[in-house]
Amino acid sequence: MSLLTGESINSGYGDMEVLHDVSFHIEEGEIISIIGPNGAGKSTLLKTIFGLLNPTKGRVIFKGNSITGLAPDRIVRLGMAYVPQVENVFPSLTVHENLEMGAFILTDDFSDRLEEVYELFPILKERKKQRVGKMSGGERQMVAMGRALMLDPELLMLDEPSAALAPKLAEIIFERITAINETGVSILIVEQNAKESLKLADRGYVLASGQNRFEDTGENLLANEEIGQLYLGG
Amino acid sequence: MQILSRIPQLLIYGVISGSILSLGGIGVSLTYSILGFSNFAHGDFMALGAYIALGLFALFTGLRIPNTPFGPLSFGFGFILSFILAIGLTALAVVLLDRILFKRLRRASSIILMMSSIGVALGLRNILQFFWGPQPHYYIEKIQLARVIPGLNIRIKPDQVFILIVTIIVIGVVHYFLQYTKMGKAMRASADNIALARVTGINTERVILWTWVIGAALAATAGILAGIENKFITPELGWQMLLSIFASVVLGGLGNPYGAILGGMIIGLSEEVSTAFISTGYKPAVAFIIMIIMLLVKPTGLLGRRR
Repeated sequence: MSLLTGESINSGYGDMEVLHDVSFHIEEGEIISIIGPNGAGKSTLLKTIFGLLNPTKGRVIFKGNSITGLAPDRIVRLGMAYVPQVENVFPSLTVHENLEMGAFILTDDFSDRLEEVYELFPILKERKKQRVGKMSGGERQMVAMGRALMLDPELLMLDEPSAALAPKLAEIIFERITAINETGVSILIVEQNAKESLKLADRGYVLASGQNRFEDTGENLLANEEIGQLYLGG
Repeated sequence: MQILSRIPQLLIYGVISGSILSLGGIGVSLTYSILGFSNFAHGDFMALGAYIALGLFALFTGLRIPNTPFGPLSFGFGFILSFILAIGLTALAVVLLDRILFKRLRRASSIILMMSSIGVALGLRNILQFFWGPQPHYYIEKIQLARVIPGLNIRIKPDQVFILIVTIIVIGVVHYFLQYTKMGKAMRASADNIALARVTGINTERVILWTWVIGAALAATAGILAGIENKFITPELGWQMLLSIFASVVLGGLGNPYGAILGGMIIGLSEEVSTAFISTGYKPAVAFIIMIIMLLVKPTGLLGRRR
């Protein structure tokens, strides 16, 4: 059984359909990268999976149950976490408070989990009392990912985690994504930075004009000349 | 120099009026950032609180619940009890109002919500007028003499000291709630970004409920304190202060409850000090001018952040 499956999904905003008949699957423990040009519908796909948009056709199946049409606050309780591309932190809260909010639905003590997240991002522990609004883009991205990891999700979805980051910082973020995956979290990542994200992915999908064009292992997609010319900048 | 010698006294009046504006402003600020609209009914929540206290006080007086003044204050147990119960009842009334009206409009645009709040404002004021009439009602008929603070040439009434102490305690409690409780932190998080709060799993409906409870409780407190300061209340009590409250909130930074406190103090002080130079009738104009200048110079306000 796949961890997450999308079956022929149509979705979009109001009358504007962005995704047409998109299907995909994620197995337990995988890192999946979805690449494609701007406006291909990558973010729309993540929003549809997470219940921020309702698909007009098709189904989303998580751990064997349909989550199609469920609200995000229900989905988050099932073991899926989502980091939006922008505005993904609470700027007036401290690092520690942001992580606490990630654990909002837990009623029991979460200090062990907090330590695990701080182990993944040691810099956050050093700065735990700092307001996130005053932090750099890379640090904010770490706060956002840490917040999403507080519930120990089985699947973490990241929308362009390296967008607007300097190459060196992007590299650190990608390296952390691999580290998170090694703790047993499956990862679905959507990226403009296609080359880098395919390098760490087990498999990848190429989305263009709202349709699934290619599906293969990360290595094969990187080696594919047609994809290289069309989507990886030659 | 005649004018300058009046200023210390006006600063005292300014802090008292600023206290009342601050308490009103916190609710306006929280409603704006969490529910996404400017609540024009907030002033009338203040009046509602003031009238509920008036009604309870009359009832308790009728029931012969003692109201022997505490020390130098002009009221005692009966009034304090009315004050506390009125805060709770106002919060309850506003929560009911949310269930009946605002909850149905959760996904509506901010313009629709704002227009609805104007409707609520008119409705509430007319209900108060229907039951109590447009004429002023007095909490306490007795006139209290001001005490002179030796050496400072300042006169202050014991009731005014009471207003300041209540304000400090209430702001302290709100600060503790926002900084150190789980719900308070969730409220600040929702004020930052309610969409992200929802995605994080925060129960935003409960956050909204608490926003109404706190906003209404503080509004009732502000309305009753205004009644103590003015000695009387009218159904227009809150509506008349609403412009100054909006100015305070904009000045401090929309969406930041601490900004509302700071803004309230500045507007209160400016309005009172301005009376040394211009006619008292221009007080609302002073608030308005400060608000316009702030919007031109830094639209996000003193403690606001970029969106």
